[in-house]
Amino acid sequence: MAKTMPLVGKEFVSGFRLQTEWATLIAAAFFFGKIGSGLFIMSLFTHSWVGALVGLLIVLIGKGGAHLLYLGRPERFWRGLTKPGTSWVARGFWAMMIMMVSGTLFLIFPAGSTASSVFAVIAGLSAFVVAIYDGFLMNSSPSIPLWNTAMMPVLCLFYSLLGGTTLTLFLIEFGFTQVAIETVFLSNMELVLLLTNLIIMGLYLLSMTNATAAAKESLRLLVRGSFALPFYVLALGIGLVFTLLMSYFVGTHGGAGVVGLITAADLVGHYFLFYLLLRVGVYKPVLGQLTM
Amino acid sequence: MHLGMVIDLKRCVGCQACTIACKSENGTPPEVLFTKVLEQVAGEYPIVKKKFIPVLCNHCEDAPCVRVCPTGATTKREDGIVLVDHKKCIGCRACYVACPYKNRIFLKRGSLKNGYFGKQLTPFEKVKYPKWQEGVVLKCTFCVERVDQGLDPSCVQTCPADARIFGDLSDPESKVSRLIRQRGGFQPLSEDNTEPSVYYIE
Repeated sequence: MAKTMPLVGKEFVSGFRLQTEWATLIAAAFFFGKIGSGLFIMSLFTHSWVGALVGLLIVLIGKGGAHLLYLGRPERFWRGLTKPGTSWVARGFWAMMIMMVSGTLFLIFPAGSTASSVFAVIAGLSAFVVAIYDGFLMNSSPSIPLWNTAMMPVLCLFYSLLGGTTLTLFLIEFGFTQVAIETVFLSNMELVLLLTNLIIMGLYLLSMTNATAAAKESLRLLVRGSFALPFYVLALGIGLVFTLLMSYFVGTHGGAGVVGLITAADLVGHYFLFYLLLRVGVYKPVLGQLTM
Repeated sequence: MHLGMVIDLKRCVGCQACTIACKSENGTPPEVLFTKVLEQVAGEYPIVKKKFIPVLCNHCEDAPCVRVCPTGATTKREDGIVLVDHKKCIGCRACYVACPYKNRIFLKRGSLKNGYFGKQLTPFEKVKYPKWQEGVVLKCTFCVERVDQGLDPSCVQTCPADARIFGDLSDPESKVSRLIRQRGGFQPLSEDNTEPSVYYIE
């Protein structure tokens, strides 16, 4: 089917159709949600009060702001909490609200107190949901085979952890925070996560080579079509390969400037990977190829 | 009762009368089409044939749009018609993305300011536009106001070739059920398990 059906736009022709509604702002919301929650989770482990605060602010302002800008009727945003039973949008919204409230209470109560520990657990769990729900949200669309895979939440989780680790190292190197564990450990963890993400990314794309015609069309657009250049340069080249090489050969020994560069490269790659995955989403033709 | 539609691909001549009838009935703004007829070339050169595929909301039994809606704005009536409550919709477009048939439309801000003929709305548009809201998702309603009065949807009534047939899918003796049974009616993208209420026959 992929060979004969065309990729069409608004014209009245049957064929594969590109997903166009979720793009820049939704990619920004996913990006901020993942790096903010990742930083918050890492901050709980490293006992970084500043990191936790920055993580919360990234989720609140970055993710919340992008979502509000995107909504057609932002004044009704509270209605998005109505149906968590079936909707991943509502579940994500609930997780974000719980993360905000419990995270703020965690920061207010004295460190080590029972209340602080309880709210840390609640905030950590909700941050975990915020980190992965984008994957479930995309996975729940049977319409777009590229997203309709169990690999999606896994990809989101590992990108979230990578973003959190990178930002934690950035905050340490620039003197914004001190952490309870060795910087070398975090640096090694970043390397492992970069390698893991590279492998998961490869497996994800490999799985699409054996998927439906629409998934193959998405893959074609991503690796050989109009989105190939930003994919190879920004998402793969800068986001994973450059970051991996810089982290391995220089790393935190290079000082704040290098860590800043690694952080920027990682974040650019992270944003563009999910932006491109959103943009290359392809719908199947309604009736497939009809016969004579 | 389970309302549904059968579309006879052999009868459709691609005249787009259904597209215009729908726009006329609903008074939808520019670029908003609840139904349309797609073209497809079947066969391989030099033996080819142009075919026409009318598309509209399939009012699925297990509609992904109903499932993913975070506000409950998209609901399914007992007779199977899937509707959007514009007052509840927040414009997140989760339903738009989740619809495998891409049959939902997002009404952008400013869409209702200009009609088809420039900045001034025609008297027809002035009457029809107040029922729409900007920033929400719209879709075919199977002409629910007409159906509630016992009439067929506007596209069905208009079709000059009788390519669209509307009726009760739960009644085995209805015309739609008989057509599906006798001519092997099939649902679009049945592999997605959404159980569309629109069937096609060839």
